[in-house]
Amino acid sequence: MSTTRRSLMAGAAAIAATPFAARAQGANDLKGTTVVFASWGGAYQDAEKVSYCEPFAKATGATVVQDGPMNVAKFRAMAGSGSPDWDVVDVTGGFLEVAAKDGLLEKIDTKLVNVGRLDPRFVHEYGVGCIVWSYNLGYSTAAYANGAPTTWADLFDLKKFPGKRTVLDQPVASLEVALLADGVAPDKLYPLDVDRAFKKLDQIKAQTVFWTTNSQSQQLFVDREVTMGIILNGRVYDAAQKGAKIALSWEQNIQAVDYLVVPKGSKNRAAAMRLIDTMTMAENQTKVANLIAYSPTNLAAVKDVDPKVVPWLCTTPDNIAKGFVMSQLYWRDHLKDLTERWTAWKLA
Amino acid sequence: MTRLVMNQDGMAPWRIVRGTLCLLVAVFLLAPLFVVVIISFSSAPFLQFPPPGLSLRWYVQLFSTPAWINALVVSVEMMVPAALLATIMGTAAAYALVRGRIPGARLVMACLMLPIIVPGMITAAALFGIYRGLGLNGTLTGLVIGHTVLNLPYVLATVSSALRVQDSRLEQAASTLGAPPWATFRRITLPLILPAVLSSLLVAMILSFDELIVSLFVSSARVRPVAVQMWSNVMGDFDPTIAAIASVCFLFALLVLVADLALRRGPRLT
Amino acid sequence: MEARLRLDRKAWLLLPAALTIGVAFLLPVGWLLSRAFTDPQPGFQNFELLWQRPVYMRVMGNTLWIAAIVTPVTVLLAFPVAHLMAHGSPQMRRWLIFLVLVPFWTSLLVRAFATAILLQRHGVINSFLLGFGIVEEPLPLLYNITGLLAGCVQVLLPFVIFPLYSSMARIDPAYMRAASTLGASPVRSFFRVYLPLTLPGLVTGATLVFVSTLGYYIIPAMLGGARQQMIAQLIQDQIATFGNWGVAGALSIVLLGATAVLLLLLQLTVGLKEIAR
Repeated sequence: MSTTRRSLMAGAAAIAATPFAARAQGANDLKGTTVVFASWGGAYQDAEKVSYCEPFAKATGATVVQDGPMNVAKFRAMAGSGSPDWDVVDVTGGFLEVAAKDGLLEKIDTKLVNVGRLDPRFVHEYGVGCIVWSYNLGYSTAAYANGAPTTWADLFDLKKFPGKRTVLDQPVASLEVALLADGVAPDKLYPLDVDRAFKKLDQIKAQTVFWTTNSQSQQLFVDREVTMGIILNGRVYDAAQKGAKIALSWEQNIQAVDYLVVPKGSKNRAAAMRLIDTMTMAENQTKVANLIAYSPTNLAAVKDVDPKVVPWLCTTPDNIAKGFVMSQLYWRDHLKDLTERWTAWKLA
Repeated sequence: MTRLVMNQDGMAPWRIVRGTLCLLVAVFLLAPLFVVVIISFSSAPFLQFPPPGLSLRWYVQLFSTPAWINALVVSVEMMVPAALLATIMGTAAAYALVRGRIPGARLVMACLMLPIIVPGMITAAALFGIYRGLGLNGTLTGLVIGHTVLNLPYVLATVSSALRVQDSRLEQAASTLGAPPWATFRRITLPLILPAVLSSLLVAMILSFDELIVSLFVSSARVRPVAVQMWSNVMGDFDPTIAAIASVCFLFALLVLVADLALRRGPRLT
Repeated sequence: MEARLRLDRKAWLLLPAALTIGVAFLLPVGWLLSRAFTDPQPGFQNFELLWQRPVYMRVMGNTLWIAAIVTPVTVLLAFPVAHLMAHGSPQMRRWLIFLVLVPFWTSLLVRAFATAILLQRHGVINSFLLGFGIVEEPLPLLYNITGLLAGCVQVLLPFVIFPLYSSMARIDPAYMRAASTLGASPVRSFFRVYLPLTLPGLVTGATLVFVSTLGYYIIPAMLGGARQQMIAQLIQDQIATFGNWGVAGALSIVLLGATAVLLLLLQLTVGLKEIAR
């Protein structure tokens, strides 16, 4: 983790020092240009449309077409062909690292994107962080009315906190959680001690339901199928808003970032970069947070967010301090082997 | 008379077992549908059963979202031609393979069945790759071709099993008596295999409607069938809007089936 | 001469389907699968990898095993329905066709969720069983083989019912009458006369079920548990997460090979039975 953070900060410092000219261009200068924006669909993409795409279209005269849902195989097939249908795509941090290594992305043009507005931890050479989300310990408030679990160690304590668990069906984050629960400090986490992590996970394996989609992680709590587990902050917020008896702990939250990227060979590279620049503005990020409670990468955006939403964001000063950013570089290099091992572990 | 009685005595236990099993299967098939329809009228923002209260909010949500209406239109425009093409080509191929003496018929049959054996992901990515060069991604034509390919094996399997059971001597007799092949097919073979042909047409439509993976690759934001729209929704959040669209499809299915049954009623009873 | 002409005419009927499958399926897919031998470099390294890492073959075995459980259960449940459909009153037939087709129109995704709602710990079935005192603890019906089986069978039933029905509907009742006139017991005439006549439909249905199950991944992901890992999920991972077409192609080829062997065996046994008849 520390290496990632350091290299990112160094990169960002260099970027922040470059002169910035994007805003100098006149309004409506992109009239007639069409930018295709692809994301994950649902309420999230609706929020992005209203918060980034519409202000961008208004300011530049460009037309933004919504597409998706984002699909890694489709992205690869497109970018591999050299003439992608998509111009700006919302991708996960894990895919960003892989795609950057495989040469599927355009470099972020820092003359057009003011990356200096963002927290340097969320800026990458090939992508700009648009939202941050975190893996948290979620639990049923009905099951643990007297004394709620707070740490990852509690997830593994079946005596003190009986009940079924849920863990995401992938090694990413699950192995980190196991090691944190076993007492490894966040800054000593990478490279992961994989044997130790699996040994720890063995403790709860028989009691665990694995989730594969985010909606499933919510549904498991709503259906009282599980009482505690690893779940995303936004999902706990959403379920709690809708009246589910669920809460989360911020202790050692594991943060991950979604990035906007431009697939290699985009015909509208410059316009795409400027759409990304619109995303970096604090007022636009505030809108997304208000609509869907995903955390801003421009930390200045937090102060204007609805006070009811703020406690659920992982990039408030308090929650940043309690958490850390997952190393996507580690996962880029180990995901394949560890996924194999994860599958074998589940079958064993 | 005695034989009839004997027969019934022997069959009675089987009739009871058969009835019970059919009832069980009926419950098994319909229970999830009841759950879906009831949840679509839920007032809760979750897929919760039984729902805490009733409301129409998910239907309002559904019909106030143009994307859903558009998706329904695309689905129909895609599944009808794809099912028709697959049924015509599949029936013709089944007839040729079962009745004709074609060298290596088994091998040809196996090749034609491949689209259901090859994992959908592979087919989807392969079509996506080929379509790129032809500009077929994001077009109705592209979706129809892909779905015709996926439907063909089902038609072929159903129709050829109907043909195999049917006695071919009738056809032989007809052609010996000088009936041209087309007349033999139309007058003798087709009426006999019609139930199989029609049911494979319906099944093909349903399969198209439900198919996700090829649709996901080949569709675009503007040409997007219901299955992809649903998936896109599920990726974001999972609320009873999904149950509402499912119930609308269910209603649509009821109408199609009632129409189908009404159409088939005449010839069937004679 | 005339005979040959007739054969040629029938062969023409094969052309549209063969062309469609050839151009729009075999060509693109063949090209993709060939990457198992070329990606990242020419050779058999992708197959070697599958051999060296035991997890792949285990998941493959697991998948075949699950399909081998799903198929007989589906056939057994489909049989009485098809039978009633074929030999019941026309009204009964219409109701049954209705019954089987209607659920089919509801998205697999939605039905899987609804099935989960029925099977869960606090779900309808468990409430029923607890309420009537049949069990004392909720039964674990979901996120294990039971849940997976319920999901697969539910989706696949029509694929057996229809071919089976079209075989049964063609059976001349005179055969059964003849058998019983000749003194065969109902059980004997069922197994000796009736069942063999349904074989083409039964085999078609069972094959469709078996082969479709091999490719499933939405249902195992939603209703199965940790141990119900199936091969399609791994293929999907290789393509979607890793962009590793070579390994995905190799896995698909292994899957296809296994399927082909099974189908061949099936064809041989049924073919022999047909000849014996």
